[in-house]
Amino acid sequence: MSAPVRRTDVPAIDIHDLRKSYGSVTALDGLDLQVGAGEVHGFLGPNGAGKSTTIRILLGLLRSDGGTVRLLGADPWADAVELHRRLAYVPGDVELWPNLSGGEAIDLLSRLRGGSDSARRDELCERFDLDPTKKGRTYSKGNRQKVALVAALASDVDVLLLDEPTAGLDPLMEAAFQACIREAKDAGRTVLLSSHILAQVEVLADRISIIRQGRIVESGSLTELRHLTRTSITILTDRPTDRLGGLAGVHNVQVDGAQVTFEVDGAHVREVVKALAELDVQGLTAHPPTLEQLLLRHYGDELAHSAQGAR
Amino acid sequence: MTAAVATPTRRTSAGTGPLTGTGTLLRFMLRRDRVRFPAWTLGLAAFMSYFVTALPQIYATPADIRAVAPLLQGPMGALFGGPGYGMDDPRLEHLLAGLYGVYVLLGAGLMSLLTVVRHTRTEEHAGRSELVRSNVVGRHAQLTAALVMTAAMNVVVVVLVGALMTGQGFATTGSWLFAVSAGAMGMSFAGVAATTVQLSEYPRAAAGAAGGALGGAFALRALGDMTSEHGNALSWLSPIGWAQQTAPYVLDRWWPLGISVAFAVATATLGYALSSRRDLAAGLVPPRPGPARAAPWLRSPLALAWRLHRAQIVGWALALVVAGGAYGAFTGPALDVFEDAPEELLVVMGGTEDIGNGFLTVLALTFGITVAVYAVLAAQTIRTEETSGRAEPVLGTAVSRAGWLGSHLLVTAIGSLVLLLASGLATGVGAAISVGEAGLVADMVLATVSFAPAVWVVLALAALLYGAAPRALAAVWALVVYGMIVGFFAPLLDLPDAALWPSPFEHVGGYPLEPVSVVGLVVLTLVAAGLAAAGITAFRRRDVLGTG
Repeated sequence: MSAPVRRTDVPAIDIHDLRKSYGSVTALDGLDLQVGAGEVHGFLGPNGAGKSTTIRILLGLLRSDGGTVRLLGADPWADAVELHRRLAYVPGDVELWPNLSGGEAIDLLSRLRGGSDSARRDELCERFDLDPTKKGRTYSKGNRQKVALVAALASDVDVLLLDEPTAGLDPLMEAAFQACIREAKDAGRTVLLSSHILAQVEVLADRISIIRQGRIVESGSLTELRHLTRTSITILTDRPTDRLGGLAGVHNVQVDGAQVTFEVDGAHVREVVKALAELDVQGLTAHPPTLEQLLLRHYGDELAHSAQGAR
Repeated sequence: MTAAVATPTRRTSAGTGPLTGTGTLLRFMLRRDRVRFPAWTLGLAAFMSYFVTALPQIYATPADIRAVAPLLQGPMGALFGGPGYGMDDPRLEHLLAGLYGVYVLLGAGLMSLLTVVRHTRTEEHAGRSELVRSNVVGRHAQLTAALVMTAAMNVVVVVLVGALMTGQGFATTGSWLFAVSAGAMGMSFAGVAATTVQLSEYPRAAAGAAGGALGGAFALRALGDMTSEHGNALSWLSPIGWAQQTAPYVLDRWWPLGISVAFAVATATLGYALSSRRDLAAGLVPPRPGPARAAPWLRSPLALAWRLHRAQIVGWALALVVAGGAYGAFTGPALDVFEDAPEELLVVMGGTEDIGNGFLTVLALTFGITVAVYAVLAAQTIRTEETSGRAEPVLGTAVSRAGWLGSHLLVTAIGSLVLLLASGLATGVGAAISVGEAGLVADMVLATVSFAPAVWVVLALAALLYGAAPRALAAVWALVVYGMIVGFFAPLLDLPDAALWPSPFEHVGGYPLEPVSVVGLVVLTLVAAGLAAAGITAFRRRDVLGTG
């Protein structure tokens, strides 16, 4: 018996020109987002970029100011209750009832969604090393998150909306989480995974959308996004390298004795490699951009700013 | 200049014992409580000064006081006052120390236990103690500083209350004895709190346990004082009893305060001993685990609402049953006493002709407004569910907005009805026993339950505010306060009917003095339903509030 496959031609999430503002603050400024059925979609962006607002509009918790939003082909505001039978949601900040146990909260949320598999629930508690008998007020942030994750993952739903689901989890639990998301994908579920933990999205996502200041600035598969970006190259050579800086597509040349580091736009790699052949290169390392670099390119100013603020 | 900057100041006197740093911590606590310290101490003094100035107004002549003496000597005086010293021929100071004084004693106890919890377990739970203890601070410095600070607060209360009483011209010994007994009472519960904060990890549990001990102390002495004149062994088991058995202005004995001091020292010592046996931030009593699975009935928004409101409803019901029984039992003596009562009081009670029914009608109104207070508090917990982020996961399941808010409102509306029923039943039983008229049970139930539609209007207005302008929810208190002022003072103030009209409590009739207004009840219920529906509609149209 194989898991049900839910892929269809209708995208699971289809958002066009979505707008939302809180008073004078614009949270979403013409956001477009498409997530295909059965896809694990990484939703990347810094804090305050509009990730949670988008997800809360998809849940019908917030009303959009403009644009169209379709979730599983339906309107999330008008058809909220029907849609919620087919989706599970994990908020970024999980709050539990102080005097309900974690187990009670899991059962309650699953039942309100339309029931869950009891064996699956126990198995998930085991995998996430969660003690369901503790009262809500005694859980740490990470454990509250596990309660919400178990409640969401134990349900038989089509779509998982996960808002920074692992922000409080340790690396071991993150591995358990990644395994669960892969299982969800194999079962044909659509997953929208918002995060600023880039490594996690890199490992799990089929496609990625990067949001900045309420707009999607990049969207595509990891390979497609890499195509748009620069490759970082470090060479060792005794020859003068003045020519390199003048080549089209080369940026940030830094010379440290015999070691030269620079970045090359994806479209200009061929010419640069030809030029390197004449430099008697003794050592060469090249690495593809990490998602950190993708983000740095888009929000370099903000990341530098927040890094300073954290100091 | 540079040398002065470079030379580190070395404290030669710095010790390394368990109390190191107490002085610094104490100064820090005083700085943090620069508002709270005077608020509590001056507040308690103002509370006492209110009685000191108000009583001479109510009881203008010694004859006025003698008129209420039988009441104060009886079980009612014992329940709400004290052991009744000096009540055979009471003067103002006897009333102050022996009857109203217990509330100052309770206040001092509450002040002390909350202060100790605030500066010990609350700090530990928040993790700030860890930061403090990593500095040069001894193991017992925090508890010691908290106790010293509480003692300072109690000394201020003693001085203020003593000065107030002697200033009024009351006997010096009795005045200072009463003031010191309040301070001793405060320190007794500082000691209790020093012990309870060691037991649980949670400040609320620590304050709850100490507060429960305070309530138990009150109940013990009430039982003792009610069953024998000047109390019995039960009264002597209670810290409140020790303070009251000093009998200020009557026996003027100081030695019962010795027991208070010994008790405070013993409980504080126990606290120190227990704190040495546990880790920082840990409790001696591990938190109780809950069920691993939800009960089968917990599967709908209505069941969740009931689960969340349950404890509140049960707690209120117990309090209202106790209060109802006590006030109901007051009916018989009231009938005798009110013959001589000041005229203003009788006007509030509905005139002199039907004083029994008038009294019961005022009781029913009191319970109606009290239950409205419950309803507003319950409505505020609904808003807290949303702003704390607990509503969001629920609304993220197949629960509609209307189903979520409607469930909370329905549970609160039915809860209000149950509370009115419970208070009416308890008052009726108390009154029936006191007067010997079984029919009063049904009368009183009808009287209180007839206020349900008025309470529902208050609740529904809260729902409308919550749905349409959640930040303005607190504005609903205006209606409750207005209803209270109009209800209790309209007869005195001679207000026009137009001024009464906005209060929903004025439309239920006012049973048993007046017949129940069936039309009024129906209209109120319809108004409540309309407001609630509008509130739910507004809630469906707005954004769910974030936690930010």
